Amino acid sequence: MIELKDVSKIFYKKHSAVTALSGLSLKVAKGEIFGVIGASGAGKSTLIRCVNLLEKPTSGEVIVDGQNLSRLGSRRLTQERRHIGMIFQHFNLLSSRTVYDNVAFPLELSSTPKQEIANRVAELLALVGLQDKQHEYPANLSGGQKQRVAIARTLANNPKVLLCDEATSALDPETTRSILALLKDINHRFQITILLITHEMNVVKAICDKVGIISEGKLIEQGTVSEIFSHPRTELTRQFIASSLHFNIPLEFQQRLSPFPDERKHPLVKLEFTGDSSKLPVLSEASRLYGVNNHIVSAQMDYAGGAKFGIMLLEISGSGANTQKAIEYYNNHQIKAEILGYV
Amino acid sequence: MSESMISLLIHGLWETVVMTFVSGFFGFLIGLPTGVLLFLTRKDQVLEHRFINRLVSVVVNIFRSIPFIILIVWMIPFTRMLVGTSIGVLAALVPLSIGAAPFIARMVENSLLEVPHGLIEAARAMGATPAQIVSKVLLPEALPSIVNSASITLIALVGYSAMGGAVGAGGLGQIGYQYGYVGYDIVVMNTVLILLVGLVFFIQWIGQTIARKVDHRK
Repeated sequence: MIELKDVSKIFYKKHSAVTALSGLSLKVAKGEIFGVIGASGAGKSTLIRCVNLLEKPTSGEVIVDGQNLSRLGSRRLTQERRHIGMIFQHFNLLSSRTVYDNVAFPLELSSTPKQEIANRVAELLALVGLQDKQHEYPANLSGGQKQRVAIARTLANNPKVLLCDEATSALDPETTRSILALLKDINHRFQITILLITHEMNVVKAICDKVGIISEGKLIEQGTVSEIFSHPRTELTRQFIASSLHFNIPLEFQQRLSPFPDERKHPLVKLEFTGDSSKLPVLSEASRLYGVNNHIVSAQMDYAGGAKFGIMLLEISGSGANTQKAIEYYNNHQIKAEILGYV
Repeated sequence: MSESMISLLIHGLWETVVMTFVSGFFGFLIGLPTGVLLFLTRKDQVLEHRFINRLVSVVVNIFRSIPFIILIVWMIPFTRMLVGTSIGVLAALVPLSIGAAPFIARMVENSLLEVPHGLIEAARAMGATPAQIVSKVLLPEALPSIVNSASITLIALVGYSAMGGAVGAGGLGQIGYQYGYVGYDIVVMNTVLILLVGLVFFIQWIGQTIARKVDHRK
């Protein structure tokens, strides 16, 4: 549905050139939700703007629904854009128009008859659950409501593709969940292909089928969410996965933590589980084999795209040699074990 | 004050009001599209065009730098050609409109610059043509600010029209000049001042009321 072929974008400034995208290729199949994750400045904003040619790529081709957009003249491009929806981090609603008129806006652009507009707007506002707000101005709405209006607006022309530019980054976690649920629902119901960019792995985990990791204008890794979560190949991907887990050492342990081994202290070990990790009940196995006690300090395990992953903090007590063996055992089962110190 | 003086003042006030609002109207007729053009042809805007932007910008700057009293005299041949005379209210309308237009153009350009760029981007993403962006996004979104610019312009025009009075434009300016400056009639001079101040306050009040009405940003 969406295909980028070897797309590059270079911004020329007075005395320098900044490469935002370099030879990036990407394919999103019909009905799929594809997430692109990257740090700020990695080129993800430019990437999504190249899909509807808000930014003209310096080279490469952009094909949406079989149309090579990069070859269209400006008039045809304007027409094609009406089939590509887009929502933004800062909603971009017109402050001078009510909720109703904002949703009617794209229909006015294509000179839809008034009665038809009224029907369609009512339908869309019902879909996003804002019928009672139709006469309000955007300034009187909460962030989540604004994004719902923006979603209703962008669906007005029945787009085949929906581009989401950090659509939930300005929202609180609860609202983010409800907006993501709405997007997923829209994707299911209307078979709309969604390409979203984000810097949060949680967004990818929540709704994406496939994910690409962008860094310095290149997709360094892409695949199904379960593939990426279970076999992250690059350090950056690992970092993004870890960032979706909140890991920190409890204060009480931090105060007691010493970097040196001590007779009276036990090692504090961080275990990282990825999709590769053994499915065996490793904690009880290690305990049985080496006579160590695994005291779980904190743990966060999650499940995404069929892969289990997570981080666990253990205090392992037992003889020094056996503790060492237990840690080796974990590592041999594709669980990254690391001694953080001794408590 | 004699009765004839009072009726002269009322007539003068009327002429000033006509000069201010009519030239304000024509000023906007020229200045608004020019301001929109200045904005649209700026770098990174929908009709980016360096040459046109420079050219219009230079013309605007030239007209803005001519002192108004000189502009009236300088434009006399053109004014005669257009309205057949170079004195009176009708003749004053020509330089007043031309003098206000570049001022309005810059004000409009500035108002449009205040519109968040994201809105233009969203409109483009929805398939809006440049004309639709102007009529459905830029002008409605900038309206509160444009209304404020309009009241500032009209107030400046009150001053300009009074200045024009010194060279035969009519209105309160002429009365103030003839009876106040030449004849040194303190009562008439001060009455003229009070009427001008009242007019300015009235325009400011109307402008603010409308701007508040059309502003839905908060």
